Amino acid sequence: MSQFLSYAIPGLPYGCVFALLGMGLVLTYQTSDVFNLAFGAQAYASAVVFFVAVQNGWPVWAAFLLSVVFGAPVLGALLQFGLYRHVRTKPPLVKLVAALGMLIAIPAVLQVAFGADQLINPPSLWLSPSAVYFHVAGDAIDGTELSTVIVTAAVALLLSLMFHFTQTGLRMRAMAESPRMVSLTGVNAEGVGLASWMLSSFLAGLAGVLLAPAFGGLQSTNFTELLVAAVAAAAAGSLRSLPWTFFGGILLGVAEELLSGYLPSGQILSSGLRPAFPFVVLLGLLVFLPGLRRRWARTDDPLAACDPPPAPLASSVGGPLFRRASRTTMALLLGGFVASAMTWISGSWVFTITEILVFAIVFLSIVLLTGMSGQISLCQATFAGVGAFTAGQLADHFGVSILLGILIAGLASAAVGVVVALPALRLGGLALALATLAFGLLADNIGFQYSWSGNGQSGIVVPRPQLGSINFTSNRAFFLLVLVVLALCIVVVMAIARGTTGRELAALRGSELAAASIGVNTRRLKIIVFALSAGIAGVGGALYASLDQSVSSSDFNTLISLVLVVVIATVGVSSIEGAVEAGIAYVVVNTVLTSDLPSQYSSLLELVFGAGVIVYVLHPEGVVEVAKRFVLDHVLRRPVEPEAVG
Amino acid sequence: MTALLQVLGVGKRYGGIHALDGVSLEVLVGEAVGLIGPNGAGKTTLFDCITGVRHADSGQIRLAGRRIDDLPTYRRARLGIGRTFQRIELFAGMTPREHLLVADREHGGDGRLWKDLLWRGAPRSDEVDRVEKMIAELGLEAFADAAIESLSLGQGRLVELGRALMTEPRLLLLDEPSSGLDSRESAALATVLNDLRQRSKVALLLVEHDLDLVRAVAERVYVFDFGRVIASGSLTEVLADAGVRTAYLGEGA
Repeated sequence: MSQFLSYAIPGLPYGCVFALLGMGLVLTYQTSDVFNLAFGAQAYASAVVFFVAVQNGWPVWAAFLLSVVFGAPVLGALLQFGLYRHVRTKPPLVKLVAALGMLIAIPAVLQVAFGADQLINPPSLWLSPSAVYFHVAGDAIDGTELSTVIVTAAVALLLSLMFHFTQTGLRMRAMAESPRMVSLTGVNAEGVGLASWMLSSFLAGLAGVLLAPAFGGLQSTNFTELLVAAVAAAAAGSLRSLPWTFFGGILLGVAEELLSGYLPSGQILSSGLRPAFPFVVLLGLLVFLPGLRRRWARTDDPLAACDPPPAPLASSVGGPLFRRASRTTMALLLGGFVASAMTWISGSWVFTITEILVFAIVFLSIVLLTGMSGQISLCQATFAGVGAFTAGQLADHFGVSILLGILIAGLASAAVGVVVALPALRLGGLALALATLAFGLLADNIGFQYSWSGNGQSGIVVPRPQLGSINFTSNRAFFLLVLVVLALCIVVVMAIARGTTGRELAALRGSELAAASIGVNTRRLKIIVFALSAGIAGVGGALYASLDQSVSSSDFNTLISLVLVVVIATVGVSSIEGAVEAGIAYVVVNTVLTSDLPSQYSSLLELVFGAGVIVYVLHPEGVVEVAKRFVLDHVLRRPVEPEAVG
Repeated sequence: MTALLQVLGVGKRYGGIHALDGVSLEVLVGEAVGLIGPNGAGKTTLFDCITGVRHADSGQIRLAGRRIDDLPTYRRARLGIGRTFQRIELFAGMTPREHLLVADREHGGDGRLWKDLLWRGAPRSDEVDRVEKMIAELGLEAFADAAIESLSLGQGRLVELGRALMTEPRLLLLDEPSSGLDSRESAALATVLNDLRQRSKVALLLVEHDLDLVRAVAERVYVFDFGRVIASGSLTEVLADAGVRTAYLGEGA
């Protein structure tokens, strides 16, 4: 028993932080229908501001006022006012990408503002982290743990009083049903929404400052990973109940510590399972709680039908001229690459262009899955990683030619795609996205750590291919190989798009219910599209490995999956050439522009595309589509809008 | 005439509420049957159980004698159950013509992935012809290639009807097809449905509040209240029934 307690008690402070963030998630999901995955990043922001203020000689109370009481709600209000307000009635992908954009942009902004150096030994808010106050079951209770538990308990009490006895609390509860109905009764719904954002951002900031001393140094990834635990806590409350979310969070924190206490130490499974545990819980809740799936799959605002339908995509109303323009753009781009790469540019630039094509293949996998089929995956980098490590390990251990290895890599990733698709069959929209996120984090923390797979941070060496007398160690030869593979992948996706499967996928994207009612086997279709998409991503990953000649698990971590989705969505996820253009954007911003900048700009990609979602939410068809529409409208003076229907 | 659809003692509970409480009804081959009753009486839940969107807790559902209650929705659709929706469910991003094409290809059942990959997945001329014919029959010409988002509710309901008909159903379930239509559009819909029945042997099961439409189309009606069938017969007969008047029209007995 005392051993049990000594494992369980250190979990309480973590549980408190999960509970605070989880309650913030539930609150804002109910009032504004956005699942704000950026709360982890907001917690990090408050922790950093608190740290810097204290470091500059501010008293702790003043730093707390600045970072949590003032800063956090202002950030929340800005996010709501500038971004989330616009996505309330938009499709799930738009809402998700908006939140993901902030998740990656906020840490990047902080890095630019406060430098790239790690902030070591964050100060404590209230009680000293090194002092031991008393012992429970042989466990030394330090200041961080004690203050976290006390502050969280106080906040929970205040919240429950507020919800039961104040006008604002009552209005927030009513907003959960329907903001429009609330505004029909004469309440300023926007104001209530804003208040809930400020309140939940305050909770996030508080969680960040409380937990910071538990980490040796402030790292954004520590905080963003907290969020999945918070999501699991919110899921335990069915995204509706604050008390259940609170207890779910506490329980999760305790269970996590118990697990790490009882599992044998020093093995990858046990060291990886602890951070991955919330994702396992989340997956389980998603698969086994049907009510939760429904709440996540669609909004149930009774007045939702008042919203105007989403505007049709530029590509669907553009007509033949528009499609021809799109194809010409892609042909010119590719032609330009080939001509340049084979003639005048230097070897290192050929490498860069090859990288663009490799990323275009990975982006193509998202175009197929998300753009054409409406399924959201947050583990495309994981699929690419499976491909990369399969090809690398086959070459290393079995001497399999890397060309054959790339093919097998595609098949292996496709098989993993099927495994991911099986539980995903019952999920849709945001629930599917979160399930794939959980899978990606599992692969990240466990799957890719073994020496037979990704070999963790050390990584593996992958050779360049050799085909008969052609040696692909030259950058130009390898460029041609990648070009051929990209062309093949594009042909496959185009063939699917114009055929039966493509029309079925479009129907699935439009309405799964109606698709099934005309006889579309939606389960089979989802498995097929996940397999194809994962397969294409796997081929891309294998080529990436062979291009770089060495890869590690950090090349395919979950953050990269998120960045990939944000980039392709911002550029244009609904067309094949969007994949090529996203490849260009990704590589140009990530490697070309950052090479000469000071180190705090190393997250330029996250900064540019994270902030870019502000443009994206206003134009969900992507900037490339907007640009093409502009050209047709204003330069060629050929309107692309269809004739008005009488 | 033989029974096409048999619903035998079907029950469905949500928590403590009996949405369907031992419902039995029958639709004969080629027959048009109306389902009327107050909101919340269980009519849409019954449709969901017949199409497999929800699974009944008890009872049996048979199509042409074959039990279908364990089959998934798409299998039931392929056996010949078509449906439209109360809150219309169209495929965003597809034109009305594409709605019909995808439904026709499903009915043809030759949508193999390898055919797509061999570049042989594009619509064939016979498919295009059938779609063209349906567009003409339902009068969709004016907006057949418009963006689906630009259609009015009435036009959207016609596209839904056409999509369901492309699968050549033996039984067509229509869930409040006239809701959101004006009286002129409702009358036109009655004509479309009666033309349809003259051309083909399709049976209709129609949930509808507009009694004029029910009278114009249905030969027989079932009256629902609190998840039970409380009366059946011709519309005139059941409207004369005292229990029906209390439940449905809110009149004292």
